[in-house]
Amino acid sequence: MTLVHNFPFFSILLCMAAGIFTSVFKARVSKILTLMVVGTVLVLSALTLRLTLQLEDAYPFMMGHFPAPWGNEIRIGRLEALMATGFSAVMFISLIAGFRHAESFVSEQKFNLYCIMVDLALAAVLVLIFTNDLFTVYVFIEIMTIASCALVVVRQNGHTLVAITRYMIMHLFGSGLLLMGIAMLYGITGHLLMVPLKEAVQQIVETGNHLGPLTVVIALITAGLAIKSAMFPFHGWAPDTYAFAPPVSAAILSGIISKAYIFVLIKFFYRVIGLEVIISQQITQFLFVCGVAGMIIGSIMAISQRDIRRMIAYSSVAQIGYIYMGLGIGTRAGVEAALFQMLVHAAVKSLLFLSTYELINVSGDRKRFHYLHGAGYRNVPAGIVFTLAAMSMVGIPFTGGFIVKLNLAISGIAIGGWVRVMVLLALALSTLLNSVYFLHTVVSIYRKPAEDHIYPETPKMPAYAGVTLFVSMLLVVYLGIGSEPILRVIETGLKTFS
Amino acid sequence: MEGLLLLIAILLPAVGSLLVMFLPWVNENRNNRCIFVGAVMVLECIVVLLVALSGEQTLVLFEMTKDLPIALRSDGTSRVFSAVMALMWTISGFYSFGYMKHEQNEKSYYAFYLMTLASLIALTLSGTMVTMYLFFEMMTFISMPMVLHSRSKEAVAAGIKYLIYSVAGATMGLLGIFMLTPNISSTFFVAGGSLMTDQLTLPLAAMQAVILITLIGFGTKAGMFPMHGWLPTAHPVAPSPASAVLSGVITKAGVLCIFRMIFYVVGPDFIRGTWVQWTLLACATITVFMGSMLALREKQIKKRLAYSSVSQVSYVLCGVFILDTMALEGAFLQIVFHALTKDALFLCAGAIILKAGISRVDEMQNLGKRMPWTMWMFTICAISLVGIPPLGGFIAKWHIAEGALTSGTQVFSWLVPTVLLVSAMLTAGYLLPPSVSAFFGGMAQTESPAIREDAKDPGLLMLVPIGILTLAIIILGAFPSIMIENFDNVINTLLKGAL
Repeated sequence: MTLVHNFPFFSILLCMAAGIFTSVFKARVSKILTLMVVGTVLVLSALTLRLTLQLEDAYPFMMGHFPAPWGNEIRIGRLEALMATGFSAVMFISLIAGFRHAESFVSEQKFNLYCIMVDLALAAVLVLIFTNDLFTVYVFIEIMTIASCALVVVRQNGHTLVAITRYMIMHLFGSGLLLMGIAMLYGITGHLLMVPLKEAVQQIVETGNHLGPLTVVIALITAGLAIKSAMFPFHGWAPDTYAFAPPVSAAILSGIISKAYIFVLIKFFYRVIGLEVIISQQITQFLFVCGVAGMIIGSIMAISQRDIRRMIAYSSVAQIGYIYMGLGIGTRAGVEAALFQMLVHAAVKSLLFLSTYELINVSGDRKRFHYLHGAGYRNVPAGIVFTLAAMSMVGIPFTGGFIVKLNLAISGIAIGGWVRVMVLLALALSTLLNSVYFLHTVVSIYRKPAEDHIYPETPKMPAYAGVTLFVSMLLVVYLGIGSEPILRVIETGLKTFS
Repeated sequence: MEGLLLLIAILLPAVGSLLVMFLPWVNENRNNRCIFVGAVMVLECIVVLLVALSGEQTLVLFEMTKDLPIALRSDGTSRVFSAVMALMWTISGFYSFGYMKHEQNEKSYYAFYLMTLASLIALTLSGTMVTMYLFFEMMTFISMPMVLHSRSKEAVAAGIKYLIYSVAGATMGLLGIFMLTPNISSTFFVAGGSLMTDQLTLPLAAMQAVILITLIGFGTKAGMFPMHGWLPTAHPVAPSPASAVLSGVITKAGVLCIFRMIFYVVGPDFIRGTWVQWTLLACATITVFMGSMLALREKQIKKRLAYSSVSQVSYVLCGVFILDTMALEGAFLQIVFHALTKDALFLCAGAIILKAGISRVDEMQNLGKRMPWTMWMFTICAISLVGIPPLGGFIAKWHIAEGALTSGTQVFSWLVPTVLLVSAMLTAGYLLPPSVSAFFGGMAQTESPAIREDAKDPGLLMLVPIGILTLAIIILGAFPSIMIENFDNVINTLLKGAL
């Protein structure tokens, strides 16, 4: 065991410790501390990824000195390390580019509390990625729910309060379903750790005892996580929450936190129940239908929006639909495409929220499209970033979005039959719908503004924010051109995942 | 390193474009910029001609996913297309130096002008289907700002229409690429096609339907019915030199993709004599006829020319879909001559709009006395487009019609020539009256009141490019055999399976 083996544990600990320490600091210190922590987590995760690439298999890590089942255990493999790296990178970028906006929503005295929530959210995401224990999953999902709630509600106006109430109701309902599922699973197997749990589940499937309750468990847990990750038709809470949250929070929520739930779901499918059982219970078909429906209806809803942030929020619903369609295809290739989409969407969506906020900012804080005319000239870097992110959403070649669609289509075609037709049709239709609203928006930010709109002078975007946005834009292009190594990591990681 | 030249051909205008955007020296004043852009374009022409003259080269850029190489290759087809496109682009570019003096945002215009050239050359040099798709999409998006140039309401609406149609078309194309990929034996383009017809993963009828959808999708860029709606809206709103290349050159990108799919992926034998061929021919002939009819009704000169493009590009497609040596020669000739003529016509129209301040064909009475050079060249090009010997257009249409008659494509073997004839008459109907009224005054004895007081021929910077194009039409029309020999070499490799 080298030092690097400990890094995932360190980064979790670091986030939680930072959360505690931040509570006594002033705004400025806590801001710097948070940035440093997230940056460190990024470096540590990247080093972990490098380590796992050298190792053959994933390795378990004992927390404290008690072996499982008495102590707690995390498991570190390529896939986990990749996700941790990707998510912390997105978090880091979002914070650098957007932290200064959060200051305008949060009072100076309370800013350290905001930082605590950011730290806790990251800690929860990391735990959910690495954990090997179903109860830990539950605990940190609750922590994440509360942290993200606080991230949204710092902006105290009527819209946000309504949105967050809806958010809380839906999420607590989801948590409840999840908890019931876990409790029942514990009841029929007697385990909470994933490795023995899987053996017990295999036994249930073989003997046929408690098969009914197992189905209920799968349904409960899937539904709980689907609600929490805003899968269509449980997406009702998402658009307003994303649209009315401060931009950084929106980026973190829709970019990272909703993906963490899905990663837990994939983990549940692969490491707890086993994909064959899931398929035989026809859960994948359900996810597939919901995914396709989400892709189409999310986009249609997005087209009808008149507020740019709500439009982007609705497009999240469509993009989550891609992920669920990939899961629903039910093959390894489909899940790989879904995992890649999680990374791409995390990067692109957070970029979209941040650049949109910059564009709104130079348009006198008005969100309707006709006020945004010419915003691409008033803030050139944000305009370019928005354009590129929008292209990735549509799935234009040379961006990450295209590779996602390519892989989804290939995995769909490999199955054949009606799935193939559905996948291709859904992709084609969704590309078209996406292009309708995203490219329309791109054009409208480069239009001539109406004569009678007077835009107030706004402070220029600081250079570091522009540079960050630009670097992350290169990241999106990299996901489109150099996707091969990442896909390879996902592929080999998924092999050792179960 | 082999294939380096191909990379240079793409990177040269791309880098040039970035320099126009970001290099302060280039933007110091207008002269610097024009000299720089001109130099880039001339260099690019030289590089492309070098590519065209050297042998076949292949360059794998990178692997996109496991089995999807992004590769460049200069085979016969790409040499023809890239040479035509680069030359046309350069000539229109020089015209822009004169024309764009009167427009705003020159910097972004030239940046995107060069960038579009880069993507276009990349498209012609693509060696695999996916590469082609990548650059096809890229070209759509990069050419977009040229349509949006004036940023007026009309331009924005046209731009959005252009985008939606293009994305829809490209998606249809992509669908076909997805479905075809498991069925072809080589990811690279193979002359004569590489479809494994004996072990299709789809039922035959479904495969044919997929191919049809793909070709119609790529046909969007060529303005083929039923996806032609964007073309007459989008082309005229761009500045004139941009309309010229959009209409004269970029439509050929659609033709190129169709060409690649038929002759390098699917193979002509797979669709010969099937309902796919009949549907495609029907679409193309409908487009030929409809485009001419619509042009006849249109009074705005640039719109009229755009409708005429709808019709004329489908001549090329007719020639392609007949799948016959003679008709293919005609298609190639039509590609060259339509590019030359339509470029020249749009450039003339630009000069008329700029110098005489009129944009409608019924305001052109007696314009010929004020702008003799422009109107003379306009007339020569019009005659070529109608297809009157000895100018270029005639040779092209002759070959297509002749090919159709001997091809044995059932009803189309006589329908295509008939439609071409009717369309030629319609073309005469919409292009010659402006010339007639410009020189003979039409009904009126005096000059049209809409013509500006100081209307006169534009400067040499604008006149010379048009002159070069017109001369090319006359010379190449008189001696087409120089080109036909080269085309034959290409065509023979394409149809070798059949003949």
